[in-house]
Formats: sequence, structure tokens, C-alpha cells
Amino acid sequence: MLWIKNVRMVDPSQGISAIGDLLVKDGRIAKTGERFSEEDVLAVLGVKKINQVDQVEGQGKYLFPGLIDVHVHLREPGQEDKEDIQSGTRAAVRGGFTSILAMANTKPVVDTRAMVEFVRHQAQRAGKARVYPVAAVTKGFLGQELVEMVDLKDGGAVAFSDDGKGIQSAETMRLSLEYAKLTGCPIISHCEDNNLAGQGVMRKGEASARLGLKGIPASAESVMVARDVLIAGETGGKVHIAHVSTKESVWILRAAKKLGIDVSAEVNPHHLLFTDEDVKLTNASYKVNPPLAGREDQEALLEGLLDGTIDMLATDHAPHTWEEKTRPFAETPFGINALETVLAAVWQELVLKGKMNIEKVVQLWSVNPACRFGLEGGTLRAGTPADLVLFDPAWREIITAESLESKAQNTPFLGKELQGFPIMTWVGGKIVMNRDHN
Amino acid sequence: MQWMHKDLLDIDNLTAQEIEHILQTAVPMKEVLARPIKKLPTLRGKSIALMFYESSTRTRTSFETAAKILGADITNFSVAQSSVSKGESLLDTAKTLQAMNIDLVVIRHTSSGAPEFLAEWLTAGVINGGDGQHAHPTQALLDYFTIKDHLGGFKGKKILIIGDVLHSRVARSNALGLKKLGAEVTFIGPPTLLSPEMKYLGVKISYDLDKELPGADAVMALRLQLERQQSGLVPSIREYNRLYGLTRERIEKTGKPTIVMHPGPMNRGVEIASDLADSVQSVIEEQVTNGVAVRMALIYLMIGGGTANVVD
Ligand SMILES: [Zn+2]
Repeated sequence: MLWIKNVRMVDPSQGISAIGDLLVKDGRIAKTGERFSEEDVLAVLGVKKINQVDQVEGQGKYLFPGLIDVHVHLREPGQEDKEDIQSGTRAAVRGGFTSILAMANTKPVVDTRAMVEFVRHQAQRAGKARVYPVAAVTKGFLGQELVEMVDLKDGGAVAFSDDGKGIQSAETMRLSLEYAKLTGCPIISHCEDNNLAGQGVMRKGEASARLGLKGIPASAESVMVARDVLIAGETGGKVHIAHVSTKESVWILRAAKKLGIDVSAEVNPHHLLFTDEDVKLTNASYKVNPPLAGREDQEALLEGLLDGTIDMLATDHAPHTWEEKTRPFAETPFGINALETVLAAVWQELVLKGKMNIEKVVQLWSVNPACRFGLEGGTLRAGTPADLVLFDPAWREIITAESLESKAQNTPFLGKELQGFPIMTWVGGKIVMNRDHN
Repeated sequence: MQWMHKDLLDIDNLTAQEIEHILQTAVPMKEVLARPIKKLPTLRGKSIALMFYESSTRTRTSFETAAKILGADITNFSVAQSSVSKGESLLDTAKTLQAMNIDLVVIRHTSSGAPEFLAEWLTAGVINGGDGQHAHPTQALLDYFTIKDHLGGFKGKKILIIGDVLHSRVARSNALGLKKLGAEVTFIGPPTLLSPEMKYLGVKISYDLDKELPGADAVMALRLQLERQQSGLVPSIREYNRLYGLTRERIEKTGKPTIVMHPGPMNRGVEIASDLADSVQSVIEEQVTNGVAVRMALIYLMIGGGTANVVD
């Protein structure tokens, strides 16, 4: 039993953004509304004494439906030195995410039902965020034979992706979009043409020329986005474009949506927060794939999010060990550790600076992902599971290796102070994170 | 002038005044090189580590010679023999160097930024002996020395850098300093080897060598790696030579006693004709000598006390 009072509730799924109270009973949201009296609470929750109800004062804070992140690398099994399901889900709830989609590029890759069930089982053991496995599209990520999509779906997979690698064969992509119709699940496409990307380590442009680093042209992404939306259009398949980073990709997606193609897309906040000008030769935490792009791309991505061309935010949380990242730039792996810093960064850099309001953030990071991937959550509607985040816009923290729940520390925010953090997170009505009790 | 830099990683960290200071310091060094007994006691007791992760006999020998003449002790970490080839990380190598109290490290590496990386971890000075496609500041300095020696200065001089600019740390570092010193720099090559992004350097970009030659005071041919043909960047060596190969006839189009430069090693008959390379206009061998003088000057400034008043 839980009574969160006097809090600014933000629920775009019902068009709510107002101060009020929320009640939880048996792991589900029981009622939301303006201020409740004790009598109301006792009646709704069906208890005799108010001390049977946990009360949380929410003045000055926000309450959202738990955030849903559709792009997370948890690294287990096989690369537990970078992250495991326990540390990754602890990081998730600390960052305000109650549900996450776990990518399949583990060792071995998640291409069998047993593997999907293993991931779910480990997540249940950890008992923090809900974890929905994304299964591979092709066996062993080899880009050739399709996985047993129906069996994998029955095992709990909610989408298919060879993310980490782009599917180079257009025919393989066509067949996967066709066959996935049997499951109703989207194919998540990591759009990268390996020939164009070559041995590049950052975005091709003035910054790469200045640093003498091999560049990846923007077209390495956008030609694949064009290919995949065209194939989705032709087949009637369902595609989700991961980590859109170029303005050309945004144009293509806008045109595809006008044509009624069943496509959705995500942007990683680091592409809204940084550009290739921020890349430093001696700091590989800015090395990410797709690489940080230019100012114009950044503006196009924001515009795409605001006008509905792009449907959601997603972290692409990609933990790597300190040893792997502490090398000369070109020798380090791609990826940014994001779950625990990303909401604060978005709050500070986008919301406080007036680029995006908080209602839109919740729409993009909770409502839309739930809808596209057919997940519970993404709403404060009575009767739905109480996956909730209490967000304190004034909470400040310096990001340190010690403070992170993630095993990795490859974040550009290391050593920096951020403002605006989740202070309590509930999954199914159970409190899984409380910053006051850390 | 007191030398203020712990490291030399690229030319962009230097002011025009500092570049001139290095060049001035190199003048007496070059005189030492011309003597029958080439030995100075200046750096006795100082230790220099040469770490070449990418083979280059020419640059390594130049640094080694410079350090020896100055009397420093040299430790060669050649990649084949050391723990480097056993997978030791650059970080651990840096820690080892730190523990050995080395005074100066010269590093050459295939990864851009490896010298910066080392410099962050070491209290010793670091000289970049060439990293990836990023920078090759000592090559640039020896080129400036050579240009100044022959042309008297830099202001308004027209300098052409020709060939595989895309992959060239020499072109990048050269342009950075030449612009600061007041020269006009033009990069010339086929579009596949010369991306428009290079304009950030404030240089002119051109695909047409013959059009740019008139009035050129110095032309610098870059080495064309022969594997560029296999990668599809140039259709053939034949066509490359036709468009960008320097020959005696071609160089006459400058209408000036233009100097001909090359950072070496040359592909004779590809980017430069043999007879031109061996002609009086060619300063390619001098570049090698000047390389030792400039590296002596630099090492001296960095760990030898830091004034230009070299005496014997
Ligand atoms: Zn990806």
C-alpha cells in the first residue's frame, strides 16, 4: 500500500500534468486524482488504519510512469566484466528505468529460446527492472539464417535485432521483415553499411580531419535507413530504426511516415547532447557508434523528436571496462555508459534549456516505447502495474566511479555534476531504488 | 625565451614565435653536425626512450643521432623485442617508463592520439614522432627549417603539398605551422585523397597541379602508398603519375628557382621523377640533415635547460 501525495504527476497517456495524489494497491495503481483525504485513501485501499499505508511526500517533485528503455546492452552472458544483468538492472532503476530491452549481442548471442529464458530468469533473480529480451535476427549474428522467431517470442523475446552489427544483406533484411510478421514483433535495425563505415572511429568531418582519426561518413547510416524503410514499405513488415544520428536519416523517416510505412525510430540522448566537436583524442568515453555527429544533425534530430518523426528516446547503454577504454582512441571499443546519468543530462540540457518539455520526455521514453513494443507500463492509468519514478528536479550529484551501480564508468559525465535525478523507483509497486537510503 | 612546453605533440600547440625559436636553436646545432667530432656534453646523464610502434628507420635514426650527439643515454624499445608485442597495453608501458625515471620519450604509433595518451600519464616529456594520420611535428619543423634556409622566410611564400593528403600527418602538421608563419599553403591531389574537410586548416584545396605550379616557391611531394591502388583510391600509378608526378619539365612551370621537398622515403617514378629528386633544386637530402639539427634543438630545449644560447 502506497500513497504518494502532493506530487506533479506527468502522464501523457491520459493527458495529465497536474499536482495530485496516487495510490497503489497490490502492485497496481489504484487511483490517481487531486488531493485525497485520509478517509478516501482508507476506502480506496480497503484498510482500517493509515499506518498500514506507506506515505511519500511529493511536494516539488514529479511522478512519471517508469521509463522504458528499448536499447540496453547488459553484456550477460559472456562479458560480465563489463556489466551483468544484476548490475545493469540496478543501474536502470537508479536511472529511472523500470523496463528495459536487452540487446542480443552477448557471448554467445541470444539466438535460442534457452538463451532468452536465461536472460529473463537472471532478471527475475536480480529483482530490479523488468527485462525484455531482444533476440537475434540471424543465428550467431552471421547475417545468414533466420532464428526461430516464433519459438523465441514464446520464450519472451519482444523484438529481433542483430544490434551491434548491421545486417549487410538486403535480402536477409527483407526475409526477416517478412518472417517476423508471424510474431508481430518489430525488427530493430542497427543501420550501418560496413563498407562505408570502414575502419572509421568517429564521424567524418572537420573534427575527424583535425584529430587525424578515420572518419565514418553520415551515409554509412542513412543509406541503410533508406534501404530498410523501403523494404519495410514493400513487405509491410514492422521495423524500428535504432540510434538515428544523421539529418539525412531524419528526412528519410519523415518521408517514410508520410507514406504510411510501419517504421519507428529512436534517438540516443548523447546525440542530442554532444557533437563531433566534443570528441577528445584522450577521452574514449565520447567514442560511440553511430558516432557523434554535427550541429545540423543535432538540430534535425531534435526537430524530428518534436514533430513525431522520431518516436522515442533510448540510451544505447553500452558499458565497457576501464581497461578497454583507457587506450589510444582508435583501439577502444564504441559505447557510452548511460543509464544512470542520462535522465539528469536530458533534464539539465534539454528540459531546463527549454528545448523539450517534461511531458514530451515522458511521452518519448515511456508512453511510446510501451506502445510500439507492446509492453505493460507507460501510463498511470488505474489498474496498470505500479511502475513509477519519483523525480527530484533539484537533486544534484557528482558522477563518480564509486557512485555508479553499473560496473563500467565510460561516461562523458564522469567527475562532473548533474542536476535532476530520480529519487525513488517502484516496479510493480515494490520500491527498488531510494536515493535517500543509499 | 624560456621553453614552456613539457611535450611536443603537434604544431598547433606552438606559437609562431616558439617555432622560430626552435628553428634558431637548430642553427648552431647544424654547425655542430658539420664538425669532424660531433659530440656535446650538454645532456650527459639524461635518458631518452625511443618507442617505435611503427617501423621507421629514418625517423628513429634521426632522433637517435640527435640524442647521441647531445650526450644523452638512449633506450630503444623496438616493438618486435619488447613486451609491446606480447600485448602489454600502452598504459602499462607508460607506467614502466615512469618507474624508470626516463627524462624524455619519443613515440611513434599507428594510432592517432597515442602520444597525447602517453603524455597524460607521464611526468617525463613526450615528443610525437608521428601518430596515425594525426601529426608529425618534428617532420614539419625540419621542413620549416629547410624552407627558411632556402627562401629566407615564410611571409607570402607559396607552398604546394602534393599527393596523399588524406592519410598524411606530414601534410597536416606542415600546414598548421606554415599558416602561423605566414605562408600560403595549397593541398593538391585527387578528390579521393583530399577531402574538403581539410579546409579547416585555412589552406587552399586544388585537384589541378599544373594550374597551381606558377609562382610556387616550394613544392613538397608526399609518398603515395602503393596499396592505395588496391583500395580503389587511385585507378593506377600510371594515371597518378600523369596527374601529380613531379618532373623536371613540370617544375619549370613555377617560373622560379623552386625548391623540391619530400619527407621520404620516396617512390621514385611515382610521385617524383628520379632526375628531379637528384637535381640541384632538390633539397631532399638536406631535409635529412636538418632533421637531426631540429631534433637536437628540440630535445635540448625540452630537457637541456631551455635557452637558445648553445655554446661548446
Ligand atoms: Zn547498434
